[in-house]
Amino acid sequence: MNTQFFVNEPFSDFADPKERNALKDALDRVEQLRAAHKLIAQPIIGGIERSTDSAVKREDPSMTQEELGTIHYGSTELADEALTSLLAFQPQWEATPVATRAEMLQRAANLMQERRHDLSALIIREVGKPWKEADADVAEAIDFCRYYAERALLFAAPIPTSDIPGEDNFLVYRPRGIAVVISPWNFPFAIACGMTVAALVTGNATILKPAEQSSLVGFALAQLLLEAGIPSRAFAYIPGAGEEIGRFLVSDPRVDMICFTGSRAVGQQIMMAAATPYPGQRSIKRVIAELGGKNALIIDEDADEDEAMRGILSSAFGFAGQKCSACSRLIVVGRQYDRFIERLVEAAADLIVAPAKDPSAVIGPVVDAEAFARITATIERARNVCRVEAAERQLMDGYFISPTIIIDPPLSSEWWNEEIFGPVLCTTSAPSFEEALRIALDSPYALTGGVFSRNPRNLESARRHFTVGNLYLNRGITGALVGRQPFGGSKMSGIGSKAGGPDYLLQFVEPRTITENTSRRGFVPEIGNIG
Amino acid sequence: MSGRDGYSGRAVSCEPEPDRADSLIYIVKPRLVLHSGSRTVSKQTSSSPDHAPSYQTTLPAKIPSFDDRITAMGKKILAGVRVEGSSIISKQFWSQRFMEWSTQTPSLKRNLFRLVDVLPSLDSSEAISDHVLQYLGDEAEMIPGWAMWGLKNSGFVSRSVMAAAVTLGVRQMAAQFIAGETPAKALSILRKIRRSGFAFTVDLLGEYCVSEKEAESYLKRYLECFSVLGPRVATWPESSSLMPENPGDARATCVSVKLTALYSQVSSLNQKRSVSVLSDRLALLAHQAKTANAQLYVDAEDSANNEIIYKAFKQVFGSAEFRNERLVGCVVQAYSRHAEELVSDLLAFSKERGSPIAIRLVKGAYWDHETTVALQNGWRSPLFTHKCSADAQFEKISRFLLDNHQNLFPAFGSHNVRSLAHACVYAESRGIPSTNFELQMLYGMADPIARAFRHHDYLIRLYVPLGPLLPGMGYLVRRLLENTSNESFLRHTFFDDRDIDALLAAPSMDPEDE
Repeated sequence: MNTQFFVNEPFSDFADPKERNALKDALDRVEQLRAAHKLIAQPIIGGIERSTDSAVKREDPSMTQEELGTIHYGSTELADEALTSLLAFQPQWEATPVATRAEMLQRAANLMQERRHDLSALIIREVGKPWKEADADVAEAIDFCRYYAERALLFAAPIPTSDIPGEDNFLVYRPRGIAVVISPWNFPFAIACGMTVAALVTGNATILKPAEQSSLVGFALAQLLLEAGIPSRAFAYIPGAGEEIGRFLVSDPRVDMICFTGSRAVGQQIMMAAATPYPGQRSIKRVIAELGGKNALIIDEDADEDEAMRGILSSAFGFAGQKCSACSRLIVVGRQYDRFIERLVEAAADLIVAPAKDPSAVIGPVVDAEAFARITATIERARNVCRVEAAERQLMDGYFISPTIIIDPPLSSEWWNEEIFGPVLCTTSAPSFEEALRIALDSPYALTGGVFSRNPRNLESARRHFTVGNLYLNRGITGALVGRQPFGGSKMSGIGSKAGGPDYLLQFVEPRTITENTSRRGFVPEIGNIG
Repeated sequence: MSGRDGYSGRAVSCEPEPDRADSLIYIVKPRLVLHSGSRTVSKQTSSSPDHAPSYQTTLPAKIPSFDDRITAMGKKILAGVRVEGSSIISKQFWSQRFMEWSTQTPSLKRNLFRLVDVLPSLDSSEAISDHVLQYLGDEAEMIPGWAMWGLKNSGFVSRSVMAAAVTLGVRQMAAQFIAGETPAKALSILRKIRRSGFAFTVDLLGEYCVSEKEAESYLKRYLECFSVLGPRVATWPESSSLMPENPGDARATCVSVKLTALYSQVSSLNQKRSVSVLSDRLALLAHQAKTANAQLYVDAEDSANNEIIYKAFKQVFGSAEFRNERLVGCVVQAYSRHAEELVSDLLAFSKERGSPIAIRLVKGAYWDHETTVALQNGWRSPLFTHKCSADAQFEKISRFLLDNHQNLFPAFGSHNVRSLAHACVYAESRGIPSTNFELQMLYGMADPIARAFRHHDYLIRLYVPLGPLLPGMGYLVRRLLENTSNESFLRHTFFDDRDIDALLAAPSMDPEDE
């Protein structure tokens, strides 16, 4: 293996019975905590956990009758207190050597490795993520810690920009200041961790506000980071309602940057709020926003149908389609369309839908009641317009939606154009590869996309013209790995450079150029003296 | 069945044919120092006690002459083989050309394989000629002028001629390894095989099984194998025993089953249900086999699924209904790091059920796929890193099987003359008659070797794939890869004219794999 490349944390190999038993035991441990009402998330400010009056119950989306835990939502007063505390510590945090900060990330990664299955178990319970994907969530967080720790060291020292006698030129990077991280529930550990540690390792004191649905996992992350040695005054954790705490933090004049991953609508609200200067504001707020996708897969006429089938099933229905990278539009080229779709419909109907803690679950529940209502209503509306295929759902206590295929919706319809964020795939046919590519590109989003083809010309055409952030050829379109497949989109899918990529951290720092005239009355050290 | 290599741990299944490890094709990866001739220096390493301790422990008085006897037998076989003609791999025109071209440059080889892989999905001569041009256009210099006639002439007629020629060539190559689309259509070839003095086991090629509807259809196809072949084959005069005392030869029809084709949701995370569904479906096949008086092998597949496969095998054939079925078989892959534990476990199982089972020992067919998956995931591969280790373990387990031939009926699946000669000579040295085991080879791959062993009175069973061309293509690609691999025994024997002593040298476990 070439050492110049980042080495990813391996996924657990569940073909090994030992790994299966280890995660099963971890699920039992989480269940004991749940039964004893010990799953509680609270704001953490200055290293102190603070209970609040606003205690909200979180249910397990696989078993809605079971109360999973309690979240103490933070108030705006607490958020204000947190900002004050971080601001006071920011100079010290900035002065902490990058190497020291990077070591903290490495220690955090070590702790995550040690507690890997317990973290997976909590993810499985809180957001209904199936085993393999929960495990991958933790692995990705470990990767983020290690990758950003390595990358941060690259610009720790001033970088010379010239070699001219009598003058020194250096580029140096300094932290932006106070960072607010607003993380999503769909990668409750990985993305929260990635954004937070990127901000911290570059010297920004940081507040993490997780999605309401994944505040327990966010709390576990916050505790772990503090245990790894992140100073208690450099980091605060404030769970709470997006409209209240999120809005407050985004608008506060003391905040210098906002890292958000989530929906396009909220992302645009944040952009607007951040653009409005408030009295006392010190800087123009920098916003990094990773938003949605309406990602297309093209199946060419000469595609390997078996491989394509697997790629589609995992990309469209993995984690019940609740990934911004998920495939939600399928475009099949040529005459094979009808036969191909029939095979796909049968395959989708047989995927195992089960509570996420059941290891056999390929598809778990969607995240909460609101998502369930929204997605089922979207599917019902489609039934009036076009053919919709989904297996009968067995009655289960939980937010389960069978994998659903919407066949030939109008290309102008909501189903074809809007992000559904559920186990729903729309399909259409195209007479030629060029037309398929045109349809794929006709979207406001540009996050992921893919092509199954064995035609070298069409693959080349995709490389040139299929201008999504992450293009996948002859494989599924989800599961980007840190360092190996830097991840992120353009157009309405987000602004900012790729997470897990070489230039991600540069967004968290301000470049400064320092130029010094080193000559003294004609004495220039580099030239020497001929006299 | 699915017949292809895949990525996820689910239902990947190629045929666990008697042997692919003759050609364990070691991908040249920066970190893996694999072939580069390190294994052929067996003379030195095998004499070192560090590397081949097993010989000392299992072989009593005959240590000095044992290897010489293997070499002597190997030479007899190879002499017969080489006299018969140098072109076993490629007795046909297109196969011969394919061999020549794919050994020229890596890029030509890659493009040829990709072309063969895509061809069956193309349904018009325009599409075919377009792909041929795209894949081979830049390689035109490497291919003789006459064959490129279609590439250089862009007229419609020459394009159609080219498309037809290429399709014919690939069909011809495929027909060399695949006996027919259905059991009924394969009957004449099976009869010919039997008439030539070989036993057979049939295998069904197929696509990935992604739904229960497809699983049902595979189940039907397997049931049909037994119901169509059983009665018909029984009526052939050729079906009288080839080797009367050989218990493995008692039933003329034999079918090898790939279990993952029978359930669409096989996965180690779906362990319980996978085992119970597959056991139910395997029991249906076992019942049909019993009715048709046919033998049944359960093939091994990729490591992620093998745990489930062996569990289902044991559940069905340890049950009251089938525990007296003699010589139902399963497969052990010598390239697995766990092969030794597995055979001990199967021995215990056989003793417990009270009647012998057959074990087909192979080197293993999933090396490239599993090694790649392990590298991509950062896992330690469940398989040996070096081909010589698989060869060495094959011999060690051969001895174990023969030592326990009362409970385990051994079938040695390989094209490697050294590996087979080792088993034969070891049996002889222990006074085990040749009727107590059999040798297995792939149909169309090593006919002269099969004939040579047959000539020396060993029972040979050919593993015969059936199925349509499209899913068969994956099988064809693997056979072609096997023949063109740098590590291929067949290639060394018939194409490279490798020195006989080198071919027959004793293998030893690579220290890295110990």
